Amino acid sequence: MKYNSIGYLIGEGFRSVAKQKKMTSASIIIMCATMFIFGAFYLIGENINFIMKQVESQQGMRVIIDENASEDEITNMKSKIREIKGVNQVTFYSKEDALSAVKEQLGDQKDIIAGYDVDNPFPDSYFVTLTDLTLNNEVQEQILKIDGVVEITASNDTISSLATVARGIQMATLGLLVILIIISVFIISYTIKLTVYARRREISIMKYVGATNGFIRGPFVVEGIIIGLVSALITLAIVGVAYNSIVNGILSSSVVQMMGITLYNFSDIFVKLLIVYIVLGTGIGILGSIISMRKYLKV
Amino acid sequence: MIEFRNVSKSYTSGQEAVHDASFIINKGEFAFLVGSSGSGKSTLIKLILKEEEPTSGNIIINGKDITFLKASRVPYLRRSMGIVFQDFRLLPDKTVYENVAFAMHVVRATPKHIRRQVPLVLSQVGLADKAKVYPNELSGGEQQRVALARAIVNNPSMLIADEPTGNLDPNTAWDIMGLLNDINLRGTTVVVATHAKDIVDKMNKRVIRIDQGNIVRDEKGGYDGEI
Repeated sequence: MKYNSIGYLIGEGFRSVAKQKKMTSASIIIMCATMFIFGAFYLIGENINFIMKQVESQQGMRVIIDENASEDEITNMKSKIREIKGVNQVTFYSKEDALSAVKEQLGDQKDIIAGYDVDNPFPDSYFVTLTDLTLNNEVQEQILKIDGVVEITASNDTISSLATVARGIQMATLGLLVILIIISVFIISYTIKLTVYARRREISIMKYVGATNGFIRGPFVVEGIIIGLVSALITLAIVGVAYNSIVNGILSSSVVQMMGITLYNFSDIFVKLLIVYIVLGTGIGILGSIISMRKYLKV
Repeated sequence: MIEFRNVSKSYTSGQEAVHDASFIINKGEFAFLVGSSGSGKSTLIKLILKEEEPTSGNIIINGKDITFLKASRVPYLRRSMGIVFQDFRLLPDKTVYENVAFAMHVVRATPKHIRRQVPLVLSQVGLADKAKVYPNELSGGEQQRVALARAIVNNPSMLIADEPTGNLDPNTAWDIMGLLNDINLRGTTVVVATHAKDIVDKMNKRVIRIDQGNIVRDEKGGYDGEI
């Protein structure tokens, strides 16, 4: 007489959601609110990481090459720098490149360096960008060991302070996410506890006719999943609309445009956020319902 | 079969509800459990249902010592017994049919089996025409019949009834007792806790009388003694 009763349990879960309309909508509203806050922090965190990456790729160091180095040595140098861990891009700037860059900066006053075309005082150099700003010091040490490198010029202070900020922001978002998940689980378990309380009679009858704890839990877990999924989809829609208007506002400001920074489009992170929300919603729903059932299963 | 071997039960308050109870209720037997309120009657029922643990002694049900039964096995023990309460304990948001089918869903019966078995049991308790009605539209007696149908729908080997007629008028009470007797005649062990003196007297079955935690009488007869 063993029969797979998943169909029955899912049916009962839906029935209960439909019956307890007030309870269910209360749970969904609370869950949406927590997930909205969660989503906001998640999106801010993701974008900050994205911005940091952009800034990091712009930050770099200039590696000055010995004037007497041969062309072979210069080419070798490039591949050696490439091999160092943490190096992103290595770009060669010849003496001529350096000169024309300076000329451009001087603009109308480029007469000052008129004679430089004949005897160019600027050295050849490599511009090295990093994948991770925190590796700045290590990378510099390694590069200085390579033959033919005269010196490195870099704005070390800027790099290290940017690295600190990036790390701080990452830790803060992570901490907040953990706290928010814990809070959500407790809020949802409390709301499901109210549903369980309303149905304690049914639970006690189930115990008397020989229902196993797993069977009794079934409909409540289904209920938790339904609440979680519905909240996830609602929040996703709200966050999507809010995010797009906010991001458009930020991107249209002249300061941001001057810095050359871009932000994620909502469509870029939609799938990621959808997965996060569905996992979070069902996870919180399941966990919440199991926690709230514990007391009533001890008959 | 239900066997109590020197069972005592004290609550944490220190009060001893059952003292050194020993008896055997054989398969197919009909037994009344009588005593005034607070006598230890309810505790005896709770011990059979494994709702309470005995402080000392052993309880054997269907040849199995359930004294140290694991909590995870208790549901399977309860499937071997049908249970009826004084307050019916029906689910108000389910129809008569669904209330009975519910007990079958719980033991994971197939939908086909449920569709066959539920109408059968409903006609056995005389409620075939009320299948689609909700409990609040039924009289007390009818509600208790639904509870009876639910208790026997899984063909348990024993039926435990705790004051099944306590909320019913005398005529209805007799109907229910008649049904319990029918169920017993089909081979189910029936244990009825009650203090309905006239019913116990007229049925003339085995009576186990408990007074202040002690079993003071165990013989066939009426509420107060042999007839």
